[in-house]
Formats: sequence, structure tokens, C-alpha cells
Amino acid sequence: MKNFAYARAQDADTAVQLITQNQNAKFLSGGTNLVDLMRENIEQPDHLIDVTGLPLAQVEELPGGGVSIGALVRNSHLAANQIIRERYPVLSQAILMGASAQIRNMATTGGNLMQRTRCYYFYDTDARCNKREPGTGCDALEGFNRIHAILGASDDCIATHPSDMCVALAALDATVHVTGTGVERTIPIVEFHRLPEDTPQIDTNLQPDELITSVELPALPFARNSMYRKVRDRASYAFALVSVAAALEVEDGTIKNVRLALGGVAHKPWRATEAEKVLTGAKADEEIFKRAAAEELKAARGYKHNSFKIELAERTIVSVLKTLASEGGAR
Amino acid sequence: MSRKPKQKAHIEFTLNGETAEVAFAPHKTLLEVLREDLNLTGTKHGCELGECGTCTVLVDRKPILSCLMLGLDVEGREVTTVEGMNEGAQLHPLQETFADTGAAQCGYCTPGFLLVAKELLTKNPNPTREEIKEALSGNLCRCTGYIKIYEAVELAAAKMRGESVELPKESVYGYE
Amino acid sequence: MSSPKTERRFVGKSVPRKEGRDKVTGAARYVDDIRFPEMLYGATVRTTSPRGRIKEIIFGENVPWDEFTIVTAKDIPGENYVALILNDQPYLVEEFFNHTEEPVLLLAHEDKFLVEKARRSIRFEIEEFSPVFTIEDSVNKREIIWGEDNVFKSFLVDKGNVDEVWESADVIVEGEYLTGAQEQLYIENNGMIAIANHEDGVTVWGSMQCPYYVHKALIKLFNLPEEKVRVVQTETGGGFGGKEEYPSMIAGHAALLSWKSGRPVKIIYDRAEDMAATTKRHPSHTRHRTAVSRDGKLLGMEIDFTVDGGAYATLSAVVLSRGTIHAAGPYLCPNVRIRSRAVATNAPPHGAFRGFGAPQSIFGLERHMDKIAKTLGLSPEEFRRRNFIQEGQTTATQQVIHEKVDLSGLMDRAFELSGYNEKREKFAEQNKSSRLKKGIGFASFMHGAGFTGSGEKYLESVVGAEATEQGNVRILAASTEIGQGTNTIFGQIASEALGIDYNLIEVAKPDTSNVPNSGPTVASRTCMIVGKLVESAALGLKQTLVGSGFLKDSGYTSEDFSNACRAYIEKHGALKSFSKYQQPEGINWDDEHYRGDAYGAYAWAVYVAEVTVDPTVYEAHVDDFVAVQEVGRVINPVLATGQIEGGVAQGIGYTLYENVVWRDGRMANNQMTNYIIPTSADIPPIRVFFAENPYAYGPAGAKGIGELPMDGAAPAILSAIENATGVSINHIPLVPESLMEELETETI
Repeated sequence: MKNFAYARAQDADTAVQLITQNQNAKFLSGGTNLVDLMRENIEQPDHLIDVTGLPLAQVEELPGGGVSIGALVRNSHLAANQIIRERYPVLSQAILMGASAQIRNMATTGGNLMQRTRCYYFYDTDARCNKREPGTGCDALEGFNRIHAILGASDDCIATHPSDMCVALAALDATVHVTGTGVERTIPIVEFHRLPEDTPQIDTNLQPDELITSVELPALPFARNSMYRKVRDRASYAFALVSVAAALEVEDGTIKNVRLALGGVAHKPWRATEAEKVLTGAKADEEIFKRAAAEELKAARGYKHNSFKIELAERTIVSVLKTLASEGGAR
Repeated sequence: MSRKPKQKAHIEFTLNGETAEVAFAPHKTLLEVLREDLNLTGTKHGCELGECGTCTVLVDRKPILSCLMLGLDVEGREVTTVEGMNEGAQLHPLQETFADTGAAQCGYCTPGFLLVAKELLTKNPNPTREEIKEALSGNLCRCTGYIKIYEAVELAAAKMRGESVELPKESVYGYE
Repeated sequence: MSSPKTERRFVGKSVPRKEGRDKVTGAARYVDDIRFPEMLYGATVRTTSPRGRIKEIIFGENVPWDEFTIVTAKDIPGENYVALILNDQPYLVEEFFNHTEEPVLLLAHEDKFLVEKARRSIRFEIEEFSPVFTIEDSVNKREIIWGEDNVFKSFLVDKGNVDEVWESADVIVEGEYLTGAQEQLYIENNGMIAIANHEDGVTVWGSMQCPYYVHKALIKLFNLPEEKVRVVQTETGGGFGGKEEYPSMIAGHAALLSWKSGRPVKIIYDRAEDMAATTKRHPSHTRHRTAVSRDGKLLGMEIDFTVDGGAYATLSAVVLSRGTIHAAGPYLCPNVRIRSRAVATNAPPHGAFRGFGAPQSIFGLERHMDKIAKTLGLSPEEFRRRNFIQEGQTTATQQVIHEKVDLSGLMDRAFELSGYNEKREKFAEQNKSSRLKKGIGFASFMHGAGFTGSGEKYLESVVGAEATEQGNVRILAASTEIGQGTNTIFGQIASEALGIDYNLIEVAKPDTSNVPNSGPTVASRTCMIVGKLVESAALGLKQTLVGSGFLKDSGYTSEDFSNACRAYIEKHGALKSFSKYQQPEGINWDDEHYRGDAYGAYAWAVYVAEVTVDPTVYEAHVDDFVAVQEVGRVINPVLATGQIEGGVAQGIGYTLYENVVWRDGRMANNQMTNYIIPTSADIPPIRVFFAENPYAYGPAGAKGIGELPMDGAAPAILSAIENATGVSINHIPLVPESLMEELETETI
């Protein structure tokens, strides 16, 4: 690991100031991904600004039924939060299916949003990777691409976003609150992460001097009937091959409301808007679930080792919707 | 050649119940600081990428991976390693049961398991087998198949509750 | 318990592990826990393509190379090969290389971060040669990459006349079976520390299974006399075969760097390097052609078994041997022909991994037995029962089984414990309407303990027992404690033999300057073979004490014994007794024809697995596992059960999770995030039962146990998946996408 200068910030303004003043600086919170990347010499910041002392570790109910999650709320706290478990079970489930208890104890909400891909070639400094070193090429295209993207990829990058939490946030229409030099703004979760296009080195639409302060969940009563399903190679401690976050409301056999997002399939958490269009207002049955899944995956493209994920994603969507329709959606 | 002069970071924290001060290269992880600068080699390197749980220690009584935490990060906090589990010659009940019931085979992953189990029993003195499995699922063991580890945790939990217990016969020898 | 053990005091008891306390307090010292003053950190620079010639080495910029110790093949004082069987693997590439992870250069520096930077900065200019990556291409000699025909070793086992059975057979069943590579994934990576110089010779400390393998290799590498080379095993964090041979390589590298720098050198592999560069289980390909009678009797078996050895011969010949002998299993068949070969590919050499070839050939056989049963319309268990070998009958190598073998009895017990019969019926009914499919299946098998054939005779292992001034008995053996419990069972065997307290037995740390060569810690031989030598060395000690009048022949206490030791030492000086292996009479092996008594004894087993298959997302999960075996006398129930549980867990990984992905001869998924081993959430209850049938030539009646549990899980699980889904699958690992492929081609 390369040497770096280290500073602690106690408030958001100082943190933003420090990051603007210093060249090649990075915020450090839980460290579960950044320290890892620094060890591998993939990230080589000259300055680290430790933001763990900022007062952003609260989960608060908002007027109107929404919830604000501070950027420094640890994943383990968020998953265990009573309000989250009752009103947004999909989020709690997604977090608990990610990583391990030790990592969830360390990782923060903001850090989870900022996770970088687990593409092997991104990690392997002997390999070509446009995300790590723009313009060098992508070894995943012809390489072992089992865990790679089937949606929204480009010829420059087929990496996937590794987060489970973010997939749930995408389904829940969360917004990300950020603060920068003199400005605060909100970014809808679906616009927070980017598709790779020809600049895969840029993961998100967050500006270099901006700091995530909180994530807001809108009031979404039907999200009580929501769930996260993760298909992975083993029952714990593995990234998703495919995951599905969904919330469903069925009234008199008709789908009144639905939210659907996919993980493990794209450079960003994938909000399944095409499927939602097919589903909304339709009769809730297996046939429509299948049609919706197929519609969403129509644009999918498989590579040598990951074509199986297209069908796997379709089947997982259908299975999740069936479960939600039978367990609590059809009231 | 362009190496920077080595500046050292100084921190103070509570280590196994006592105040510790240490100076180290600021880029070192907690794992490296513990092993190299404090000579506490009970905490082991496993994968150094957060994939195996071997390097688990408790920070503020929560299990974390010391390979993913900078040493700088524990300033003012409370760190417990395997060396802090026993009180002198008196082993922690988990240490006893791990040693006696075959939960430690090669022993390399053992410190990590012990600390996760310790925290589990603090929170939940009477965990079910499923709760134990879930709690330990971030620690990889290649020797035991985990079964003896569950049994050791269950036995230690019972001991700590003041119950007298024996291993179920089938767990050591099949049954007739 | 199945047999009385009234008079035994220590054998059969779960005494505490000798080194248990150190392991739970963090006091146990593994190689990376040891530091020497002035120590340098070493690193290995490896080739990056599978086959070719190095034209030039390009050293990167911005590295203070003058501060580094750099070793190339030219610096080697002795022979540039890792002495083992064929001596074909170099320590350092001179010009030509044969796989992507071959060591070319060694670097050392006191700053370990700088060493890593320097290592990454080195590039090679290479002339590439056409490589071979598959068994098929190697067998077909697409390129000749090793010797004259790419074949490291081949065997032929011939019993009866298999050519004559095909015409008269009622049914002929053919099948083809594949197994993948498997990484040992001990949690402690490989590592060594060396201090080497002209005056004192070479000393290494490290993580290993076989100190005398390392010793032999270093003698050649440095061209030094035996006494100038010392190898010390440090606490070892798992081996499973993965630390059988490769430690010789790392020890040599560390020693070369130390020899040149004049300072202690430590080399610790990181996980990625350990996974990519060190040995893995041999991938295999088995073909079966079997003649059976309508009433379900085996008439003839023709078996073709091939393993991929990687780029150098290393241990492939011996792995192949064990795989070959186990290929026809515990069944009686009058006519058997097994042809086998280990072939070269341009991958890092494959090596030892628990089971050592047997899990591969047993997988093929057991899947094939299920297939034959299905063809005949018999249940898999009924077909097995009609063919199980009995006492007095002969194996494929024409070994007459002199033990009381009762596989049908083991099967009954396994079925009873697992509820096999009821579950077969219940699941068949439930699966008709349920989305999740449940199944139960089994495998029956045997595993030979100790070295194959004449191996033990040639090894001539020696164990010592020494009286200490404290009045204890210290066992001197090179057999290593790697988690399996060597120290503890040696203590039990010796205390039982001497009739003294277990705590009076010490077990010396394996250090070649202090312990005799008791052979490698492999092949399920430590308890049965070396344990027997421990017993006789201990008895030799007692004999001397009795003979010299310090001890009564019987009726003495532990204290009497200690006093006798002290008194003897005071009067005569050191008291040591050594025992050397002697083959039990009546064991005959013909190496040329591969015929005769392949192993002194076999362990016998029936394993049952219960699975759930989710055909929606192609997930298969093992829900329950029952392991019933006969391993002679069990010395320590807790340790023995632990061996079975751990081996079964590795077997579950081998079957469903662990997929080594090869890309141009290199392991592409050499991280613990993408090479998946089971976590606690993936392992079912594993219920272990031992039937006991003491073996006359084992210590207190024990046989070998370590490798056995690796054999049964894969075929049992695939049999259960077939029961659940109706689909017969003939290859492992069965990762979700291959399960998907299999399920999609059939309607379920």
C-alpha cells in the first residue's frame, strides 16, 4: 500500500473543504472496499479524509412516512432497524444477504453506494481494464466473465455493481442527499450510478468534491410486501449471480403497484422499468410475470460464461413475483 | 529512487483491556499493526481481502475484519484479540470447549471463530444451532466442516449459563 | 459401542488435543508469526504465459534494484530440480518454461511493500510455443510437451480375461465421467523462512507436511551433506496434501535468497499466489465399459482412467496409482482390466489432495454403478449388495481380502440412520407436486491405508522413543501435526502401550536434526503405519527399562515408570529406542504387473446424502449427510469424527461449489471470493458412525482414516440429485450453470 496523508473531519463542511484542497484525495468511512483496493494498489490516494466522526449515523422517520438514513449508518444497524424491517423488508433482507457480519459491522450506507466492482480484471493489475486504466482495453470481454453484466454493458466494460443494498434502494426509489462546495443536492438512486459507456472509470454521478450525507426512502406503504432474492454460489458470503428486489401490491387480482430491480446484471443496480410497465394494471398471474421478465431481459446480451444469467434472471423475477403475489400482495 | 521519508502515526487505544500506545507507518492495517508493531501474532492473515474472516478482532465489542481496517481507525477505541480472551491461566469457556471438543483442528482460523462466538454469546447467551450457523457464516474453516465448532459454542454457552452439559454421544461417536 | 474396550485406558477415549491450548490462546506459532533480526522478505517472479522460452528479463524503472538480492537459476549451487520422483521440475526457469506460474527470479528486500512493487515491475520478453491444456489434446499428442508422448506414467491392471465376457454378457453398460481440479485451500497460506550460508549450511522453518521431502530436495539444490541441512516444521494451518511437495520449492527459494544475501529470508505466499501457483487435485476422465448378467452380477469391467498431471511429473505417478487401484471399488468382479495414465498439460503441476486419485476414480465408478442398476431395473442398493466383496474374495489387483468386511451391514446402518428407505418413498410422492425436489442417494466405497504396494517397504520409516530427564517419554517422528491430531494419537498409542499416563508422553516437534524419518504425512498412513512404529518404539523403551532392572514387567504405576526413566538416565545416560517398519508377513505386491496386496488394510464405508434441488434457480443444497465407516479401532473418537466431518465438508465443496476456472492454463478465479468453499451455512448436519473391526497390524487395531471421507460425498450427492430430479449427472463440480444445462436438456 502506498503512503498517504490522513486527516479526520468532524463536520461535512470541513470534509468537503479538505477534499477540495487536496489533490488526489478520498473520503474514508468503513474502509471495507477502499482499504482493500489500496492494498492491491488499485486506488492510490495521496490523502485520506476520514469522515467516520461526522454526525451522520442516524436513521430518522420523516414527516409523511419516509425515512432518512444517515450516510454513516452501519449496514448491520440499518438491517436491524425496526422501521426498516417492517416498512421496507426488501432493504433489510438485501443488506443481510451481503458480505459477512464482520463486514456489515464496518460498512456504511454511503460507502455501500460507493463500492467499486468486483470484476477480477479490475483487481488484477496485470490485466487490461478500462475502469482501472482507461484506454487499456477490457480483458473480461474475452476472459472468464461469469459474474459479468448482461444488461447495459459497453464494449469498454462489462463489470457489474456488487451491492445488494443498492438494488433494494433502486426498487424503493430512494434519493441520495449530497453536499459539495456550497451546494446541496439530491440525486435519485437510479441516476446515482452510471452505465459504463466509454468512460467506465467513472462509477457514479457524484462529483469529486461531493459527500453523501444521507439516503432518503420515500413513503411507500406497499413496500411492506417486498422481498429480496439472491441467487449465489453458496448460502453466505458470496456476491450475487443474479438478485431481485421487488415490492408488489395486488388488488382484486390486478397489479396496482410494483417495483422491481435487479442486481448482479449491470454496471449499476438495474431498475426493471420495462417489466414494471408490463405488470402495472395487469392481472397478477404467472403468465404476466413471465412476459414482464422476458420483456426486461429482451435487451440482455450474454458473453461466453454468463449467458445462463439471462434465463436465471427471468426465472428469479417470476419466482419472486409469485411469492409476493401469494404471500401478501393479493389482499 | 523516490521513497518518501517514513512518517509514523501515533495512536492510543484500549487493547485487551489495557491502554496501548503504538507508532506505525500510517498505511498499515490494524492486522499489520497488531502483528508487527504490537507483536500480537494470535490474529492471523488469511486472505487479506475480507473474504475469509480469519483476521477477525473485536472493535468496540463488535467483530470486524482487521485486514480491512486501517490501524489509524482504532484511535480511542477498544480492541479485543484472542490474546485478550483468557484471564491469566484461566481460559474463556469458549477456549476450553474449542480445545476439548475438536473445534480447533489446524487452529489457524480458530482465533477469528472464538471472537465472533464470544460476541454472539454476549448478545445471546442461549443461541440456537441456526443462530450459531448464521453468526459464524463469515468465517471460513477448511478442517472441521464446522460441526465441532457449533458444538463447542453450544457447550460453552451452557457452561456460561451455569448448566452442566456433555457432548451428545452421537456428536463424537455415532450412536447405537 | 460395538466392541468392548474395558482394559483400554487411553485408546478409544477423546483425550484433549496435545497442542489444543496453544491453538485457542493464540500462542501457537505459525511460520508467519516468526521473525528474525535482519530478516528480508522474499518474492517469486513467475512466468506469465503457458509455454515458451524467455528471451530477456526487463527490470522496471523506479525500483532501487541495487538494494535487492536477486537470484536466478545461475545462482543455484547444486542441482536445479526439486528432487522428488523424476526430478523434472526446476527450481528456477533457465530458459524454457512449461506453465504460467513457473518461478524465474527471486527477489528479497527488507521492505515487503517494496518487494511487491519490484516483483510487479518485472517483464519478460518471450518466445511463445504452442501449449496443451486438456487431457484430450495431451493424449492425442496435439503437441508433445513432455517426454516422447506426454505420458508421465501408465498402469495396467489385468484380472481374469475381460475380452471374453462381452459376448456372453446379458447387458453391457458404458459411461464417461469427469472431475475437475480442486484447491486445498488450507486457511494458512504456504510460507518458509530460511537461514543459509556456507559455514552452517541450510536451515528452514515452515508450514509443511513432509520435513524429509524438503530435506531431500535441499540437499540436492545446495549439494550439501545431509547433516548440513535442517528442516523444522512450524505449526501448520492445514495441508490436505497441498503442503506435501510444494513446500520443497518455497524452502529452496527462501534458502537461495538467504544463501546469496547472507540474511534470514522469509517467503509467505499471499492467497492469490498460493491458489494460482501451488498444486491442486488432478482433474480426471474415466471411461467404463461393464458387462453384467441379467440377475445383476458383475461379469467384466473395463476401465480407462486418465488424470491431468500439469506440466511436471511431481507426484502424478503415485496419485495415478491410488486412483487406479480404487477404480474398481469394493466389488467382486472376475474379469477386470484397468488402464490408466497421467498426462502432461501446460498448467501448474497437479499434486496431492486428500484422497490422492481415489476420489476421482471412485466418483466415476459409483456413478456408473447407479447407471448399471438403472439399466438393469434394480435399485442402486440392491445392485451393490449383489456385488459387494466378501472376506476371502479378490479385488481388481487380486488381493485376497482377509478382513471381515461387511459392506451390506454398513449399508443397513447408514440407511437406518438416514431414513433412506422411507425417504425414497416419501420424496417420490412429494416431488410430484412440490416445486422443490428432494432426493436421497448413497455411495459405497473403500480406501486403502498407507503407501500403495511396496511403498512402505521402500520407505523404511523409523520412529524413536526417548526417555527424558523429567521422566517423560518423548516420541521422535517426522510425522507432522497439521490439524488432524498426530500429536494426540501418538500420545494415546504410546501411553496405552506403556500403560502410563497420557500426559507423560511428549511428542517432539518435527525437526530433521532431532527426529528420524518416519516418512511423509500423507496417504492415511500416520496412524496405522507410523502409529504402529510409535507403539513398538515405546515398547522397546520399556523393554530396556525392564531388561536393565529399573522397571517391573507389569504392575507398575506411571510414577514407577518415570522413576525408572530417571534412574536409567542417571546410570547409563540417554535412553532411546527406535523402531523401523517391517512389512507384515504375507503381504506381496508385484510392481511390474500391478498385482497383489495393494494395501495392508482398507477402510470401508457407505455414505448417504440428502439434497434439495430448486429447479427454478438451479440451486442444489445438501440437507443431511450420514457417514458410516469401518476403520479398525478408533483411537480418538472426537478427532476421528472431526476427520470425517471435515473430509465430508471438503467433498461437498468438491461436488457443488469448488470450480477451478482455467484460462490459458492459469487459474482464473484464484481468490476466495470467486473460488467458493462451503461456509457454515452450506454444510448440513454430518452424522458420523464408526463400526469397529480391529486390524491386527495397526496400533491398538487402528487403520487409516484421513482420506476416506473425501471419497464418498460426490457420488452420494449426485446420486441424490438423480433421485430428486431423475437426471443423471456425470461430472463435477456441479455449479448452477451446469445444473441448469443438465436440467434443461431433460424434462423434470
